[in-house]
Amino acid sequence: MTQETGATAAQLKGYSPPGKPTLTRCRSPEKETFTCWWEPGSDGGLPTTHALYYRKESSERVYECPDYHTAGENSCFFNKNDTSIWVNYNITVVATNTLGSAFSDPVDVDVVYIVKPNPPEKQTVTIMEDKGWPFLRVSWEPPQKADTRSGWITLIYELRVKLEEENEWEMHLAGHQKTFNIFSLRSGGKYLVEVRCKPDHGFWSEWSSTSYIKVPDYFHREKSVWILLTIFSAFIFLILTWLLHMNSRSLKNCILPPVPGPKIKGFDNQLLKNGKSDEIFSALMVSNFPPTTSSNYEDLLVEYLEVYVPVEQELMQEESKDLHGGCLKCERSTSDSDSGRGSCDSHTLLMDKCGETKEEGRHTDRASSRMLTEAQRHQKGWEKDTLTYAHGDMVSPDMSNGRVKTWPSVFSPLPQYSSNPLDKQSSLEMAKQHCLSTSSCLTQPGHSTKEALGPSNWDFCLGNKQPHLLHPQTQVGRQLQAHSEVNISNIGRKQAPAGLQSPALRSTEYVEVQRVNEEDLVLLQPVVSGCGRIEGYPQMPKGKDYSKVKGVDSDNMLLLQREVMEEDWCPGVDQEINGGTGNCYTSSTVNTTQKPTACIHTAMPVQGDMALAMNGYVDTATMCTLPTC
Amino acid sequence: CLSAVLLLSLLSLGVSSQPITDGQRLFSIAVSRVQHLHLLAQRLFSDFESSLQTEEQRQLNKIFLQDFCNSDYIISPIDKHETQRSSVLKLLSISYRLVESWEFPSRSLSGGSAPRNQISPKLSELKTGILLLIKASEDGAELFPDSSALQLPPYGNYYQSLSADESLRRTYELLACFKKDMHKVETYLTVAKCRLSPEANCTL
Repeated sequence: MTQETGATAAQLKGYSPPGKPTLTRCRSPEKETFTCWWEPGSDGGLPTTHALYYRKESSERVYECPDYHTAGENSCFFNKNDTSIWVNYNITVVATNTLGSAFSDPVDVDVVYIVKPNPPEKQTVTIMEDKGWPFLRVSWEPPQKADTRSGWITLIYELRVKLEEENEWEMHLAGHQKTFNIFSLRSGGKYLVEVRCKPDHGFWSEWSSTSYIKVPDYFHREKSVWILLTIFSAFIFLILTWLLHMNSRSLKNCILPPVPGPKIKGFDNQLLKNGKSDEIFSALMVSNFPPTTSSNYEDLLVEYLEVYVPVEQELMQEESKDLHGGCLKCERSTSDSDSGRGSCDSHTLLMDKCGETKEEGRHTDRASSRMLTEAQRHQKGWEKDTLTYAHGDMVSPDMSNGRVKTWPSVFSPLPQYSSNPLDKQSSLEMAKQHCLSTSSCLTQPGHSTKEALGPSNWDFCLGNKQPHLLHPQTQVGRQLQAHSEVNISNIGRKQAPAGLQSPALRSTEYVEVQRVNEEDLVLLQPVVSGCGRIEGYPQMPKGKDYSKVKGVDSDNMLLLQREVMEEDWCPGVDQEINGGTGNCYTSSTVNTTQKPTACIHTAMPVQGDMALAMNGYVDTATMCTLPTC
Repeated sequence: CLSAVLLLSLLSLGVSSQPITDGQRLFSIAVSRVQHLHLLAQRLFSDFESSLQTEEQRQLNKIFLQDFCNSDYIISPIDKHETQRSSVLKLLSISYRLVESWEFPSRSLSGGSAPRNQISPKLSELKTGILLLIKASEDGAELFPDSSALQLPPYGNYYQSLSADESLRRTYELLACFKKDMHKVETYLTVAKCRLSPEANCTL
């Protein structure tokens, strides 16, 4: 009654039965004991007591908590005797006060699954060195209570590391082992290390107490290496720079070779810039050019063709056949040093075509007009043609080194002249050019044996011989061609039909009689239809067109019929041979040198121009003035 | 079966040469196998539990109050003291019986994944291994004079008889009991292994 009254009185005062407590957790540190904690509810204003009751599986017996104090407030500690593994505990907490009691919700606990060990103990961190690089060695002991020795509990460990100033921890799982190495340390850094453990089926323990360790400074050694390396590389760099500077010029020449500019002997760029043309061109004049005296004709001669004519009759007979095709044989010769191309360039094009006939031509000429293509023959030719050579009319088409084996080829097309007159002309022109271009076409004024034809220095350009002239007499032509000394007699003999045919032989190529040497050989000079100036022939008669043979008189003189030329190139040379019905007018034309002679006119510049037009380059030979006759 | 062959070969070798070392190796193998089985059981159970709803969970908790497992008839040490008091042979035999008791029921373990199907053969292998260990020990022959007698557990068909009444509760019980028993075997084998090894830290 009193109790009820008391209770009622309590209730009237506003007290209430306790609230419902709740079991928060139960933990076992070593799988041998365990503790449970609860949270009490409201106490209702009255002193409240709590009690924990538990029941083991497969048993209805209810036990009360044996120990409320060991584990602290609101806890229940189960010691070893009361703890059974693999047994399900059903635990309930009851809160009781004067007004009533409250039961908590029951909780099933199996000790095996609530194991949370204590943190590892006796943790040590030491610094060790591995080939000069330090590392941390952390070691620890399992918690004392956990019986890992007998295998009752199997623990795995985990540790974490961080630098003092950092916020992030670096985790490392250590497994079952009790030591661990940490590498890649920062020199001079201060590290914090912590360890924790966990049973194979359970909860992680709390982190152990922090261990502090300071890594010694090993950075100095590292730094010194870098410093040395930097100094060394800087030194090397300086040396390389100095070397480069010293050899800058040669390197520049090696890498960027200078581009050769146009170089003309005697040409002064400064003068050109100054704009005084006279000085420029006068500077280009070489005083001793063309060489008036040349002791060595061989030097002057670049190419020449020497034809050896032993037997005249044979020549005449054999010529006609094989020399068709008119192949000028021109072997490539080495180009002049100061010219851009071989003097026989254009020749070769034509002549090579007829190369096949070269042999024939030679063969035909063998007996008589042997084509002395080699220097050996040259010797013979020398002997025979001393005069001609002496006069420097070495413009014979090349022989030895193969410029123009012109003679046979020039005249070879006798039977075929009609077929390709142009070829002849062009070949003739080219032969002329050839002659022009070569400095060998120089006259030698000093030589005697100049006949009445005029200047003693008539250059005999064999190439200029008029094929037409000889067409009627093929044999004659052959001789003429090959030999610098035209054997007029030969021509004369065969000349009967010449006059008949000459009119028919109108072609652009023609021969101009230069002179007649002492041996009664008419030296013919080719005259270009255009302007027929032969370079290097200072006393070249110009403008004469002796393309026709009028006849041969009784004195075995070749009568040439002169024809009017288109241009004023007609030198006033009136050959003794011919009365010269053609118009002849002195042509002191456009020559710079202006040395008009009755006989010879040197139309150098025109010739030169022509040469220019033909050859496309300036030939100093054209600038020469021909000596007067 | 490969592991069984391996165990047999090792045992045969072990008998001739160094039994302790071979025994340790065998124990290690057995321990690792049972650990694997235990993890499987744990996964199965957690998967099943997560698939349940709260209402069902509360019901199951109530059920589990009565809790009983198939292997409850097998007397086994339930605390450390008892376990350490038991001999290795006893531990091994208990383990053997526990594993054996689950050989058949494990086939009916429910689960969505493949491991369930692997449990039964693994149990068989483990059983064979434990048998080898028993025979390798000194007085193993005495304990099992007739090994065939143990082939039939007294309540071997317990679960099978009730399997027709397949329900959530049944599955829950199965999985829970299986998990527990595997842990038991793991503990017993580990303790037995540590007792045989002379080193201090046998758990390494």
